[in-house]
Amino acid sequence: MELSRREVLAIGCASALVSAFPAQARTPFRLGLTPVFLDNDAVVIERLRSALTEALGVPVTMEQRRTYKEVTEMLLDGALDAAWLCGYPYLQHKNVLDLVAVPVWNGKPLYRSYLIVAPDDDATSLDDLRGAIHAFSDPDSNSGFLVTASELAKKGLRPDGYFGRTIFTYGHRNVVRAVSSGLVRSGSVDGYVWEALSVMEPEMTARTKVIFRSEWLGFPPVCARKDRMQDAGVAAFQRAVLGLRDSAKGQAALDLLQLDSMTAAEPALFDGIARRMEIYNTVSR
Amino acid sequence: MMWWRRLSLSVRVPMVVALLMMLVGIVASQFVLTELDRQQTSRIREIARLHVQALSVALGPHVLRNDIWEVYDTLERAAGASTGRRTLFSAVADVQGSILAATEPRRAPVASPISALTIGSHPPSDLVVAQAAPHVKLFAPLVYQGRNVGMILTELNISDLIADRVETRRILIFGNAVVTMILALLGYFATRRMLVPISRLVVWMGDTEGSPIRFPDGTALEGDGEPARLVKTYNQMVDAIEAKADTERRLAERERFVSLGRLSSSLAHEINNPLGGLLTATDTIQKFADRPDVVRQSAGLLQRGLAHLRDVARATLEQNRLDRQGAELSLDDFDDLHVLMQPETARRFQTLDWKVTVEPEFMRGFPAAPVRQIALNLLLNASEAAGQHGGVSLELSARPDMQPDTHPDTLCITVSDTGEGLSRTAAKRLLGTGETSPGSGVGLRLVHDLVTELDGQVRLNRADGITRVEIGLPCKTMAEARAC
Repeated sequence: MELSRREVLAIGCASALVSAFPAQARTPFRLGLTPVFLDNDAVVIERLRSALTEALGVPVTMEQRRTYKEVTEMLLDGALDAAWLCGYPYLQHKNVLDLVAVPVWNGKPLYRSYLIVAPDDDATSLDDLRGAIHAFSDPDSNSGFLVTASELAKKGLRPDGYFGRTIFTYGHRNVVRAVSSGLVRSGSVDGYVWEALSVMEPEMTARTKVIFRSEWLGFPPVCARKDRMQDAGVAAFQRAVLGLRDSAKGQAALDLLQLDSMTAAEPALFDGIARRMEIYNTVSR
Repeated sequence: MMWWRRLSLSVRVPMVVALLMMLVGIVASQFVLTELDRQQTSRIREIARLHVQALSVALGPHVLRNDIWEVYDTLERAAGASTGRRTLFSAVADVQGSILAATEPRRAPVASPISALTIGSHPPSDLVVAQAAPHVKLFAPLVYQGRNVGMILTELNISDLIADRVETRRILIFGNAVVTMILALLGYFATRRMLVPISRLVVWMGDTEGSPIRFPDGTALEGDGEPARLVKTYNQMVDAIEAKADTERRLAERERFVSLGRLSSSLAHEINNPLGGLLTATDTIQKFADRPDVVRQSAGLLQRGLAHLRDVARATLEQNRLDRQGAELSLDDFDDLHVLMQPETARRFQTLDWKVTVEPEFMRGFPAAPVRQIALNLLLNASEAAGQHGGVSLELSARPDMQPDTHPDTLCITVSDTGEGLSRTAAKRLLGTGETSPGSGVGLRLVHDLVTELDGQVRLNRADGITRVEIGLPCKTMAEARAC
């Protein structure tokens, strides 16, 4: 193929322009995700990634791991620039982590933990579930572990001793699956996830019923390391997250997540979780 | 099985061919179904083996850790991913037999014994595709890294295999039935066609009624096949029989001439002996005409000689004269025939109608012997043909219309019967058409010959199940009749 002189010049100019961009501008922003929300939905994650990429101006990579602990450790290690954690791990590492944003659900940055059983189960409270097989979401989840564990701790009990057997499903949706299928008798689940599922997969949540709802607690926040909060990338990310509602893509992603928006929050939002941590720590130590 | 033996060979052989075709179809179908069964069993065992192998790899680490959720999640995904929902139900237990998880936890709760579910289960190597059950239960150890770490119970959906089998069986039965039917019909008609020459030969031989006639050359019997050779052999036999009969006839003719010669020489001898004396007597009379004593003596000799000749002639006549050769036909002759036929028809439970409407004077113009012979032979033949409980009739009339031009007065003898009609060869013998060999039968050839001698005519017709033979005999003088 023979190139014309004009074409050769055009290719040369284009190469010069590409090499002139700073390397930092093309470095992806790494966002960690925990199974705090509907992490199994590839469409939701892709919409969120696309919206953040557009808002941030750099590619955003979504890093998923099986447990909260893995994602938290990656964030602490610097392998992630930010992560959508839970209030419980945030409080566990409050000294090194800072809040980037908190989702707003039904007008408030709050959510609850649900205790669910099968619809035909006679249990009406946690007290009726002694000896049952119980499903937790994650040992570092507030709604999927800490709330139920702290409820037992109020009575001086530990989950291992109270329940006949406990399992961790590492996903709030999995807790609903485990209860609805009959694999376990009861489960501790994120109230926001259960409500979202009741819209998206009503046939699954219909095979469960909520027998206990916790008090309103701080919604799982997006966090970053304190020492990196002033980094241009993290700051830009914070702006992008807080302004998600302002873009069409961002609004579409929020709609899929059934969230209103993202908002800035103070650590005091998680005082309720902190109180439960204290209660739980009385029996876990 | 008498009905089977009564069937002709041209029906039995094609039927046997058709039955054999059907038998081949059934055996072939059975073979295909057996092979299908074997292949399906082999397939389901392979599926089961791979299923257990795959689950063992996927579940091994989780079972080792007693990770109930992961075991459940893996089973769920495996069941959801299985092609065409092959896996209906799966349960996994630890080495103690305590269930860790199942795809239907309510049916197999966690920590319940798996032994309650293993009834009717088989290891992969013993699985069989049963016709009635749309699923099979598989129970196998869960081996991971060479260690037996648990147990797997799985119900596999084999309804597609059973549907395959049912469909194959349906296609086989329908297809084979159609093909076998076509082949059987083809076999039937092909064999039947091959046996046509034999059937024709059999019918031909039956029609000859003891008087073999050459089978006509036809395209169906050309070639060098068995039927053609059979026909050739038959025709050769017929030729041999005809040659023999011809020889016998010539011998009889020669014998007659010999007898006639003997008779002539005897007559010549008997006549010649007195003839010399008679001639001498006439000479003596001529010489001694004037001597009365000599003439008287010679006349006496002449008288004795002539008397001897008269005796010789009378003796010859007496010896060769046919009984009532010159007798005229009378009503008595038909009365005699009526009496003669009654026992014959009674023996067969037949009805015998007898109708004679001819004036005695008219009958005198016909010779009694041949007419009697003609009527008798026709009646006997009719009685034979009519069979048991049949009907035979005779009508004797004078009909001027049979030969109006030449013989205005014709004696018409009509003999009817309710039999199945004359065979082709019998009709030939009666009507004298075409080449006929000297037949025995019941004298139809003799009837033809006698009628011909009397310048008569024979008519044969059949209508309404009645076979009617009409003999028209023209009125002739007795002298003419005797000349015949």
